[in-house]
Amino acid sequence: MNHLAGIPLWIALPVAVLVVTGSSLALLGTIGLVRLRSFYDRLHAPTLGTSWGVGAILLASMLLFSWLESRPVLHEALLGILVIVTTPATYLFLGRAALHRDRAENAPDVPKAAADDKAQD
Amino acid sequence: MIEQNLILILVLLPFVGAIAASTISVNSRNAAAWLAALVMLGGLAALSALHAQVAEGRVPRAVINWIPALHLNLSLRVDGFAWMFVGLVLGIGLLVVIYARYYLSKTDPVPRFYAFLLAFTGSMIGLLVSGNIILLVVFWELTSLLSFLLIGYWYQNPAARDGARMALIVTALGGICLLAAMLMIGQIIGGYDLDLVLASGDLIRAHATYPVVLGLFLIGAFTKSAQFPFHFWLPGAMAAPTPVSAFLHSATMVKAGVFLLVRFSPALGGTGAWFFAVTGTGMATLVIGALIALFRHDLKGLLAYSTISHLGLITALAGIGSNGAIVAAIFHIANHAVFKASLFMAAGIIDHESGTRDMRRLSGLMRLMPYTGTLAIVASAAMAGVPLLNGFLSKEMFFAEAVEWHNGTWLDNALPYIALVASIFSVAYSLRFIMTVFFGPAPVDLPKTPHEPVPWMRRPVELLVLTCLVVGIVPGLSLGPLLNMAAQSVLGPETPWFSIAVWHGFNTPMIMSVLAMALGAALYFAFAMRISDGPEGPPLLHRLRAQKMFERSLLALSWKWPRVLHRLAGTERLQPQLRLIVLAAIAAGVATLWAGMRLAPQPQLTALDPAFAVMWAVGALCGMGAAWMAKYHRFAALVLLGGAGLITCLTFAWFSAPDLAVTQLLVEIATTVLLLLGLRWLPKRKEEIADDRLASARLRRLRDLAIALVMGLGMAGVAFVVMTRPTTSNIGDWFLRNAYHEGGGTNVVNVILVDFRAFDTLGEITVLAIVGLSVYALLRRFRPAPESAESPIQQATDAPRLKDAMFVPSVLMQWMFPVMIVLAAYFFFRGHDLPGGGFSAGVTLAIGLLVQYIATNVRWIEARLIVLPIRWMGAGLLIAGGTGMGAWLFGYPFLTANAQYITLPLIGPVPVATAMVFDLGVFALVVGATVLMLIAIAHQSLRIARIRAQDEPQPSEQAAE
Repeated sequence: MNHLAGIPLWIALPVAVLVVTGSSLALLGTIGLVRLRSFYDRLHAPTLGTSWGVGAILLASMLLFSWLESRPVLHEALLGILVIVTTPATYLFLGRAALHRDRAENAPDVPKAAADDKAQD
Repeated sequence: MIEQNLILILVLLPFVGAIAASTISVNSRNAAAWLAALVMLGGLAALSALHAQVAEGRVPRAVINWIPALHLNLSLRVDGFAWMFVGLVLGIGLLVVIYARYYLSKTDPVPRFYAFLLAFTGSMIGLLVSGNIILLVVFWELTSLLSFLLIGYWYQNPAARDGARMALIVTALGGICLLAAMLMIGQIIGGYDLDLVLASGDLIRAHATYPVVLGLFLIGAFTKSAQFPFHFWLPGAMAAPTPVSAFLHSATMVKAGVFLLVRFSPALGGTGAWFFAVTGTGMATLVIGALIALFRHDLKGLLAYSTISHLGLITALAGIGSNGAIVAAIFHIANHAVFKASLFMAAGIIDHESGTRDMRRLSGLMRLMPYTGTLAIVASAAMAGVPLLNGFLSKEMFFAEAVEWHNGTWLDNALPYIALVASIFSVAYSLRFIMTVFFGPAPVDLPKTPHEPVPWMRRPVELLVLTCLVVGIVPGLSLGPLLNMAAQSVLGPETPWFSIAVWHGFNTPMIMSVLAMALGAALYFAFAMRISDGPEGPPLLHRLRAQKMFERSLLALSWKWPRVLHRLAGTERLQPQLRLIVLAAIAAGVATLWAGMRLAPQPQLTALDPAFAVMWAVGALCGMGAAWMAKYHRFAALVLLGGAGLITCLTFAWFSAPDLAVTQLLVEIATTVLLLLGLRWLPKRKEEIADDRLASARLRRLRDLAIALVMGLGMAGVAFVVMTRPTTSNIGDWFLRNAYHEGGGTNVVNVILVDFRAFDTLGEITVLAIVGLSVYALLRRFRPAPESAESPIQQATDAPRLKDAMFVPSVLMQWMFPVMIVLAAYFFFRGHDLPGGGFSAGVTLAIGLLVQYIATNVRWIEARLIVLPIRWMGAGLLIAGGTGMGAWLFGYPFLTANAQYITLPLIGPVPVATAMVFDLGVFALVVGATVLMLIAIAHQSLRIARIRAQDEPQPSEQAAE
């Protein structure tokens, strides 16, 4: 371990904890995606990875590279914001599309649209 | 120096005059005529100033070097032959200008006529005085083009249009052959200078490609001079106004071909092939032209075929190629120009005053227009070769050559007899012209009552007929010196002096002349009635119309066959096109790589990383899945394609190519979204197609699979062979070493794009701009298939709720817009040193805009933000090109870049390169082109929504398109 050898413990420890936490969350999310049955359930699992999973890894990255380059490295904040803002939009799209389709096909076990929804338009 | 300017004036003055004439108002007929006449006079003055030098045997030149390394120079030279010919062109041109002033009616746009005429004169003079054979071809094609415009002057008339088109196709096709011949000559002798060509005749004749050169050259000359079998365009060109015919078919256009034959006879002539091809064609044309002329009822048709026949005579003389024959050819060029111009003008007068050119209706005009009649009779006597007129002399010389010259071949032995037969016909048709038009009973039932024309319309004819007489009576004094001057410049300075005499004694040519005269008259008087009652053309032969055959083959070439080809490989069906493209690629690859492509002896293989293998397995599965699903589930195929693209992107990142990875990712996003939007307009694929299970369909699919496998495996094989070769030093190393010192950037990819190979990039962005515009143009006229014009089922069932469904995402997506702009700026500014650059930044910004379009709808976004993509593209091109040109200001070549550090307040030293400005151009163009396509698709939805709204009585608000 070359350039990482000189990292003091007080940096290495939180970085390691954050990286392990983040990747564990991502792994959990992936397992959930495979294991869960219905589409709506599956939507939830990967959000573990895309919220705190990514967040923890990015924090670890910020910490480590700020130390390595002896300057505050903040690029990852932008990445974090992008991921946190965009993934909910994606899942919303997916969920809405699935719901829309199921309703259009009159699938069972799908809640009917609220009455005032229709009245609105 | 003076002579150089005189020559330049000679060539350029008519073109300047043409431009001036085209600006004159349509109504000022006199101004245009005066201008044209003054230009012709100016040309004649410049020409006469050159006479002293040319007469001494010197050759005044004007040479402007253009690309000396390729032997391409604007070189002009005036020798005796060119001098005489230019004089002929300008002299007859002047008379035609005067004649046309009275011939053209008040409703014709006269300035256009004179502009074309002057430009034609200029290109004809340029052709005559060119000292470079490529320049000669350029002027040659210019004469073809301008003769097209002149013949089609009355373009309201379909005959004029057809005649003009036919003349253009035939003569321009000949011009292409001529260009090929000239290029081959240039290859043989290593230069395009005319003097060099004329001096290296032995070299050309000894060369292995001489027959090909000769063939191409002769096609060029024969098409222009209307030699058999290319003669048919000339009668068609008779739909032109008569002044045009008088000019084109006496002194200029058609004479260019024989000029070329005479001019190049020292370089290409003197061989058996030359003799048989040129003399044989000339004699055939001479007889056929004379024969058909006798049977034409149309006055101008008779003159047209007579012109063809006389051109055949000159061609035959050029083919014989002895000193006497060349002199006779030059002499007959001049004589024919004079009497044929006067005859055309006379025919024009008759047409103008009586309203018809049909010889069966014309009769006894001698009583009504005695002056014109006398002039026409003298001119046609010259055409027939009556003694004491100029036509007699050159025809006599032709007979002498036909009889005397011997190389012992059968054609040579037959020459006198063929000449005699043609001469008999020529006497007969001249006689027919005189007898039917001017003698006999008074005409009845003519459209107009003929009378003498205005005097100035007759003056040119009078002058020309006077010339016929003067040359015919005192040839040695009038044309002798000029003729010898011209002959010496063609044949060389040691050529003996030819004295032309009226009386040579009672010899064989004289007997032939008398015989021709007597037999011709007998032929005419014996068959006069039958000819005028018969069809328009010789018996039996009139059914064979070359013109018809040409029209038919033109129809096949330009309409029938292209349609067949279009049906087989047209754009209406994309599958055959794709198949052809892939097959062509395979063929090209096999042809170039089969011989030289070998696996390196020690292929450099790296150990396979399992993680990478898994990643690639996923990518390959995505790719195959996309192909599998493409038939019925395009959407799924597109998603899978995106997966494959993502793996490619990861591969780039894996192998430390971050620039490529970034670009790949962005392009992948943009294309996927654009394709998705496009999918909307494809009609839904029907699950069951009846023919799909037939054997032929299965076979077709198998064949396509085979093609695809060959292509894919071939590409993979090539890639494998190339990548396992041992690395050698190549251009890449140079780029890596020099990117920082020379280009001032550490991102080598970007430095290559915007600095080292910026010219390539400029070309590429230009292509991108063109592609963007083409896609836009195609989509603007796109009308979807009826089944996909309906609102899609997802929108139709539950449309209003879509607005709610989109609410949160669309707010989020609007928030993303500034972030994406920042990202684009980030990519742009760091591009020169780190992964990024104008292209990535451009695509990023375009995706940002794309997201805004998706987040809401077209109307909403365009009410708030108007992107003018065409302006972005234009600005991009201007910036990129302007940066390139900026280097000129500092005395460097185009697109030289400069890089240095400048210190900004607060920030410190910042590397700045002009390449970055260039990159800004790339950025703007990429944004423009991508957004242009997006907007085209988006507006398609709007347009369809509008059409639907018109169809339905109650327009419903579409929440999102």
